[in-house]
Amino acid sequence: MSFNSQNAVTSQATKALSEAAGLLRRPQRIFSLTRKLASDRLRLALQQRHLYSYANTKRDTQETLHLVLRWILDAQRADGGIAAYYSLLAGYSESYPEVTGYTVPTLYDFARVSGDDALIVAAERATAWLLSLQMSSGAFPGGLHGGGSIPSVFNSGQVLQGLVRVYVETKRSDILQSAIAAGDWLVNQQQADGSWSGPGAYQNAAHTYYSMVAWALAGLSQCSRDNRFGAAAERNLDWTLARFRPSGWVDGINLQGHPNYLHFFAYILQGSLECAILQRRSDGVEAVANSAWVMLRKFETNKFLCGAYDQDFRHGRPFACLTGNTQMSCVWLRLFEVTSDLRYLNAALKMNEMLKESVAERGPRGVIGGVCGSYPIWGRYQPLRYISWGCKFFADALMLEQRLMRFLEAQDSEALPCAS
Amino acid sequence: MRVVILSSSVYSETASAMAVRLTQAGHVPVGALALRALNRGTLLRKVGQWGLRGVMDYARAKVVPSRGNRPGVLQNSYLRPWLEYRGRTLRSLREVATVYDFPVALCSDQNLPRSVKQLTKWSPDVIVFAGGNILRRPLLNVPRLGVLNAHLGLLPEIRGMSSPEWSLLKDVPLGITIHYIDEGIDTGHVLRRCELSNPTHSESISDLRHRLTAFGIDKMAEVVAALDRGEICATPQSQINNDTQFFVLHDRLRALAADRLERLRTPTTAGSLHD
Repeated sequence: MSFNSQNAVTSQATKALSEAAGLLRRPQRIFSLTRKLASDRLRLALQQRHLYSYANTKRDTQETLHLVLRWILDAQRADGGIAAYYSLLAGYSESYPEVTGYTVPTLYDFARVSGDDALIVAAERATAWLLSLQMSSGAFPGGLHGGGSIPSVFNSGQVLQGLVRVYVETKRSDILQSAIAAGDWLVNQQQADGSWSGPGAYQNAAHTYYSMVAWALAGLSQCSRDNRFGAAAERNLDWTLARFRPSGWVDGINLQGHPNYLHFFAYILQGSLECAILQRRSDGVEAVANSAWVMLRKFETNKFLCGAYDQDFRHGRPFACLTGNTQMSCVWLRLFEVTSDLRYLNAALKMNEMLKESVAERGPRGVIGGVCGSYPIWGRYQPLRYISWGCKFFADALMLEQRLMRFLEAQDSEALPCAS
Repeated sequence: MRVVILSSSVYSETASAMAVRLTQAGHVPVGALALRALNRGTLLRKVGQWGLRGVMDYARAKVVPSRGNRPGVLQNSYLRPWLEYRGRTLRSLREVATVYDFPVALCSDQNLPRSVKQLTKWSPDVIVFAGGNILRRPLLNVPRLGVLNAHLGLLPEIRGMSSPEWSLLKDVPLGITIHYIDEGIDTGHVLRRCELSNPTHSESISDLRHRLTAFGIDKMAEVVAALDRGEICATPQSQINNDTQFFVLHDRLRALAADRLERLRTPTTAGSLHD
């Protein structure tokens, strides 16, 4: 076991102990915990996956979207940041800059869809908190709030996504300046080959899922009209695309002490796809489409995506990483938008049905409307937790589904009837 | 020609009609192998597909005999010409087998060694697939010529599930393909492709599926007869790739397919728009 792996195991054990201690402080959480453990056990025993059918909850998309957004709003802390998770043992975590950053666009999107100004207020509070964290270098710190002051490439990229959207919505010049400062720091940290490694990178290593950072830089390039950021995004895209394999697998997730969770694999696809769309790189869209198709076939055939995969999908872990599923739904929906291939939309609709089933309609704050880390809840990815980034990506997927279905149905009804 | 039928259940209307139609074409099956109807997986799946009430109605139609001269209830009324026998409706493969005198065996999985052994004992020239499991190599090796399937879409354009609906969504003509089953998804050699004439006569997607099923049964009997006479040979599919594989359709896209079928049925609207 390497030093890094040992560290990871020790840190996981410490986290588990501290969360278990949380249950001693609020013993009434035992009810939610027991109920969730029992319901997942029951679902596992009864569920039937069959080639010819799919999970159909008959639950309304809009209703689920409201529940999920309510979870996000409930998770907003007094400081304005959004908690990383709600643990069934320890309750809400501290605010999490990374997730708060990329949840801001989701809040604006839902405000637009629902006309609810509370979402805009929430986005503004989140933005104010994020700005208070920005370092003099332009970077944003890693980890949870109060967890340290080490600048982080990934967190800076995700906060940048939020700032870009706030600027697009408000045209505030101070926001653009902050975004450009973060972008400058990211460009300075980038290696000559287009990757990010070194002290600002997690475990000091280069990761292909940092394509999510490239996406943020591509967005900044568009709103600032500064092509330095677009060029940096493309350098990273080139570096990432070189790691796509013909099997659909992508090398370079590079997380010591963790399996290749679907969440990180989906990050690679999402970041690369969105960056490729913004930079008009058809090679990027094609590479992502190839990998997304492999995942689609797995999902359609097994009605399930594994929570983590070994290289080249040789072996999968038998639990679901629900956040990874929500992200794959986003990827398929965007690919449908780009390619008009209805099979992507079809898979995403079915994935969303399955995910809707996992969202609690009743329960205490922190549980209702939440997306668990894993299904079953004791699965390896963020066990016993409802996680904010799962809610963020699921809300994105549901809003995309609504927009695309409305468009498709309107287009179909307006189309000239086919000649017989 | 020694023909064996594979069926998803002894109550399968498709398999029952297939057996009758093959018999009419001069090929009484030498046996039929059906999955047990009362297994937990099938029951749960059917409840998921049809709802509890649908399953109860289906079970009632199969178990309660039709009274007097009233015809029995059929899910697919296009199969009635084959399933009506001396004023009553043949409701199961067992009843068909009793009339035409061939054995029916039950199994929990058609790929099990015991099932393969049973099939081998019948020494078929062809096996006609009318429902059941995804077939594995040992079973595919049993018949002298191969295992035949009537796919409800035109190959190679539309492979996989929900083929009639996908055909509508992709603007591919509606039809069926009789092909050999291999280890891929609808990738085997093709014996005959037939477009459905007058698809606009179908009132709904399920009506269309029923018509295509009946059409497939009819064409299957013709193909078996042609194979027997040595008048037909199979050709490999030209473009087998991911681009032509389709999966079970979500209800909302099924509704879009239904809209397209409806528009096909009302060409007068098209005329007025063109005017």
